[in-house]
Amino acid sequence: MAEKLTQEIDEQGTAGQAGERGAVDRAGEPTTAGQAGKPTAAGQSSEPEAAGEANAPKTTDPNAEPEDFETPKDTWGTVRRLWDVARGERWRFGVVIVAVVLYAAFHVAAPAYSAHVIDVLWAHIQIAFAEGKPFAVGWDTGGRELAIYFGIWMTAFALYSVQCFVMAGFAEKLNLSLRKSLTEKLNRLPLKYFDTHKPGEVVSRATNDLDKMSEVLQTGLLRIMTSVGTIIGSLIMMLRFNVVLTGVFLVFTLISTVVTRVVSKQTLRLASERQRYVGELTAAVEEAYSGRLVIKSFNREEASSADIHDLSDKLATASRRADFATNAISPFIRFIFRIAQVIIAVIAGAMLVGGQITIGVFQAFFQYIYEVSEPLTELGFSINTLQNALAAVERVFGILDEDEIEPDPVPELAAKLPAALEGAIDFEHVRFGYDPENPLMRDVSFHVKPGQKIAIVGATGAGKTTLINLLMRFYEIDGGHIYLDGVDTRSMSRADLRSNFGMVLQDAWLYEGTIAENIAYGRPDATREEIIEAAKMARVDYFVRTMSQGYDTRVENDAENISQGQRQLLTIARVILCDPKILILDEATSSVDTRTEQNIVHAMETVMRGRTSFVIAHRLSTIVDADLILHMRAGTIIEQGTHEELLAENGAYAELYRSQFA
Amino acid sequence: MKLLFEVMRPYKKLAIITFLALVLDIAGTLYVPTMLAGMINQAVESSSTDFILNQGIRMFVACCCASGGALLGNYLCARLSACIGRDIRQRVYDASLTFSGSDFEEFGTGSMITRTLNDVNVIQQTLMLALQALVPVPLICVMGTVLTFAIDVQMGTTMLAAVFVVMVLAVLAVKNSAPLFEKMQTLIDRMNVVLRENMVGVRVIRAFGKERHEEGRSACVFTDYANAAIRVNWIFAGVDCFTFLSMNISEVVFIWLGGNRVGAGAMEIGSISAVIEYAMLIMFYIMMAQFVALMIPRALVCLQRCSDVVFKQPSIRDCSVAGTGEPQVEDDDVVAAFKHVSFRFDDADEETLHNIDFHCRRGKTTAIIGSTGSGKSTIAKMMLRLHDVSEGSVTFGGVDVREMTQHELRSHIAYVPQKAWLFSGTIASNLRYGNEDASDVELRHALDVAQSDFVWGLCDRLEARVAQGGTNFSGGQRQRLAIARALVKRADLYIFDDSFSALDFKTDAALRRALKSETKNAAVLIIAQRISTILHADQIVVLKDGRIEGKGTHEELMESCEVYQEIAKSQMKGGE
Repeated sequence: MAEKLTQEIDEQGTAGQAGERGAVDRAGEPTTAGQAGKPTAAGQSSEPEAAGEANAPKTTDPNAEPEDFETPKDTWGTVRRLWDVARGERWRFGVVIVAVVLYAAFHVAAPAYSAHVIDVLWAHIQIAFAEGKPFAVGWDTGGRELAIYFGIWMTAFALYSVQCFVMAGFAEKLNLSLRKSLTEKLNRLPLKYFDTHKPGEVVSRATNDLDKMSEVLQTGLLRIMTSVGTIIGSLIMMLRFNVVLTGVFLVFTLISTVVTRVVSKQTLRLASERQRYVGELTAAVEEAYSGRLVIKSFNREEASSADIHDLSDKLATASRRADFATNAISPFIRFIFRIAQVIIAVIAGAMLVGGQITIGVFQAFFQYIYEVSEPLTELGFSINTLQNALAAVERVFGILDEDEIEPDPVPELAAKLPAALEGAIDFEHVRFGYDPENPLMRDVSFHVKPGQKIAIVGATGAGKTTLINLLMRFYEIDGGHIYLDGVDTRSMSRADLRSNFGMVLQDAWLYEGTIAENIAYGRPDATREEIIEAAKMARVDYFVRTMSQGYDTRVENDAENISQGQRQLLTIARVILCDPKILILDEATSSVDTRTEQNIVHAMETVMRGRTSFVIAHRLSTIVDADLILHMRAGTIIEQGTHEELLAENGAYAELYRSQFA
Repeated sequence: MKLLFEVMRPYKKLAIITFLALVLDIAGTLYVPTMLAGMINQAVESSSTDFILNQGIRMFVACCCASGGALLGNYLCARLSACIGRDIRQRVYDASLTFSGSDFEEFGTGSMITRTLNDVNVIQQTLMLALQALVPVPLICVMGTVLTFAIDVQMGTTMLAAVFVVMVLAVLAVKNSAPLFEKMQTLIDRMNVVLRENMVGVRVIRAFGKERHEEGRSACVFTDYANAAIRVNWIFAGVDCFTFLSMNISEVVFIWLGGNRVGAGAMEIGSISAVIEYAMLIMFYIMMAQFVALMIPRALVCLQRCSDVVFKQPSIRDCSVAGTGEPQVEDDDVVAAFKHVSFRFDDADEETLHNIDFHCRRGKTTAIIGSTGSGKSTIAKMMLRLHDVSEGSVTFGGVDVREMTQHELRSHIAYVPQKAWLFSGTIASNLRYGNEDASDVELRHALDVAQSDFVWGLCDRLEARVAQGGTNFSGGQRQRLAIARALVKRADLYIFDDSFSALDFKTDAALRRALKSETKNAAVLIIAQRISTILHADQIVVLKDGRIEGKGTHEELMESCEVYQEIAKSQMKGGE
């Protein structure tokens, strides 16, 4: 905000905090006025954010940011790192600092000079009046002073503009490079990170946290620097003008500081109370929308409506209190300063009458009061946001510091696979645990001949996905070896290894693009005919054609218009199109019924003829013809063999089989 | 906007009082510099300290008015916007309850949540800021200018010109930057989407080796955002600097002109500072209003999104002569029937259901079997009138479901949805969902039938806590509780939409046996994928791509229906 403006803020009622305080993240309340109205990631109308939660409703409000009044753990370390990131843009800082110092000087000088101008004018007017002549401003009768005064303000304006425009690009460029390194970092993080962190968390780091930083760098830092300069300068000037008046003013400043502290504690409490109701309402609305079918079929519309009305009533009360508390600080502080003004005005008025001070000084002194009081009220708040932003940046750095996967061997040294891959896979004495202290697989070995069909069975959590994680090198093994066509998978690059696999995952991932684009994800160059052919093989063509724009329908809102089964079929089409050497079906058919599953398996069998495939399924009916069945329990393979062999063994598998077909 | 006006109506009085409080605030605010000027003027002419003291007291009163007005205004603004936010939210939610399945899906659950929570929040906050920052602008402009005219006509004219120029430029600035703001909003959404996709889809991305591609995709969005953000910052810097400039210029002009006017004896020296003060205040208010004005387009979008929900005509409504159609369930053997029903979603090319025709008889079990996407669940939803037929008719107790109220229809049906959704609360509160007066004995009986013995193993039994969605129970337990819930609600028709899929074969069989006697006076409709579940149904309807491929008993269908044989073969393979 223009520093000049702050001189007026003191006098204005409610609008001040509308813009200025609007930038406050009110304890987790979605920022409606981030950077005075700049859209922010928090509380935005972000469909995907909410939509993402919709599939698995959680009681967490995406806007609930408990970190809002956090301070950084290592302030200087964070600042230093930020300074490193800003390499190449540092000149801006130099320019701005010079501009700020000069600006503060001019700014403080202006009211003092205005006192001079008024006094000169008044002197000339009195002379003219004494001579009984009318007075008009001429070059020698105040005009020169007026011109100089104008010059002072224009210089201050120029310096101010320099600050604003130089800083305008600074923060966003910093953000851009941090955001880019964040996504690059994501690609170097081990899968473990993704399995243990909620996506919303990381997304919020990259959007909300970094926006907080840019906002502060943009306006907050500038404001703190100019405020400090102005306050110091103005206080010196005030003391020079009159010590008594300054003393009175300082007493009131002290009172206002105490009041601010007391009130802001109250504000925090009310804000967190509101946040609690926001959370409750969010949970209730999510629950009701997810269960709307039940509500309607049980004729419970009225009861449900009453519940939501009740909660929104409570939220309205809480939010009225919180908003009022937040908004009331400024008028309250202003009231204190206004009383100070009245007292000072009375004393100064008496001095004016007594001739101890001039009209110019009288006016100038009041200008200085404005200059000091507003930045003072704002300063505590500004420092809070600065700390807050640093804490936010620290969290971003936290992600950038996460342990990375070990880099791939340099291309020249990486082991190469034979051009015509056979598809033989060998696990030899593989040892692995998500937590190395607590190994799941101690010694797993099995051998897959090219073209074989491997079935992995076991209860949920038995480690079926783990096996795939290791095969694809999403996780690294702790001991032993995995060979693909006799080549140790750890000696080749991950990309090279993975390019031989096609997999269909449990939760079918579609991205925001058309259906066609999604099917062609692995082969962007595929023709429309090839895409449709793949869709037909995955038995999803009929479904796609019932959508409003067929293959050009955009997948939006987290694909909630597409059922889980259809999504899975789409991802199967995606894999079919890629025609990989080895196929992995990770519970791919769990939400597709048996007959469709059979259809898919038939299609897959055609595609996979002569190629290796891994199938994980709940239903034993689909895997009885597998060449090798791996029965897993508690993270490790307890039995392996063909269906007949395992039945003959009459062990755990046989029991499992009998329980399903009782 | 229509929505806002409608919601505002009951708060007319509150709005007027709020406005008056703001007037008081502004008047007090402007009065302080007026007093100050008077003090200077008096001081240079006489040497009366009495007057100074007198003036001081008046100033104090003005301060109290201004601050009191500001505080009251703040309170009322917060109150008014909280009330309006609450009312919009309640209307959005109530509207959602009238929606049919496809009405709701048109918006999507995620979007509906956003509309009910975030959008309303944005409206509420923007309304509050607008009340505080926009409404005072015309007030202060008029009052400030009038006060200046009272001091001197020439000064007043100059003030009028200055206000006009600043105002025009402010409006232009807002107009030009508003679209950029909207663009920013969509870019933020894009950033969220892309990042989220990167996180959620990490396995796919890596499996396909598309890391670089994704980096490029997100870098592209980030760059777009950064560019837009920088442009927005430039606009802000421009507005900021311009306001600074106009304040400087007007200050110098007013001292200059003021000097001349004082020289001409038209006004007094102290009034110069009063006029300058008015000008500063006016410009400051205009600048603040600019920032708030920039937020309005976004709030309007949110308002529109809420209006879309509130004013959407539900595609399924009770007919105006509702209540006339009383289903004759008691004396009719056929409880419900589909008569040559076809159904097509509004935007689809192909029919989801085509010429479906079957009856559900009292005491009999009707089963529907078919693959995913064959339209099975749609049949259940049409029975509940969550969708309306495109052709043909669905009747209940001999009456077309469109001729009775939805409430009436659903009071006769107990439904177990495919996704067994439980509400947060206790087991008892969930079981009583369809029948609040059910006794504990009835609950216990329902649990027994639904094979939910596990409840007795919980420490609080019927009072055991249920988390949102029932996530603290396993899929199979949830299904059994949902079945028990349906049983507690006595009905003429029980619909089980794929409700046995998470149960093992043994429980499935036991449950069906227990159900048999429980539902002997009602019709039962079972939708299933497993043949073993429906083996003994009195009538099996085989569905494929929305068409009936066969109707009859298991034995009949094994003889005649090829699709059924295929399903049977695939499920029996290797078994039994």
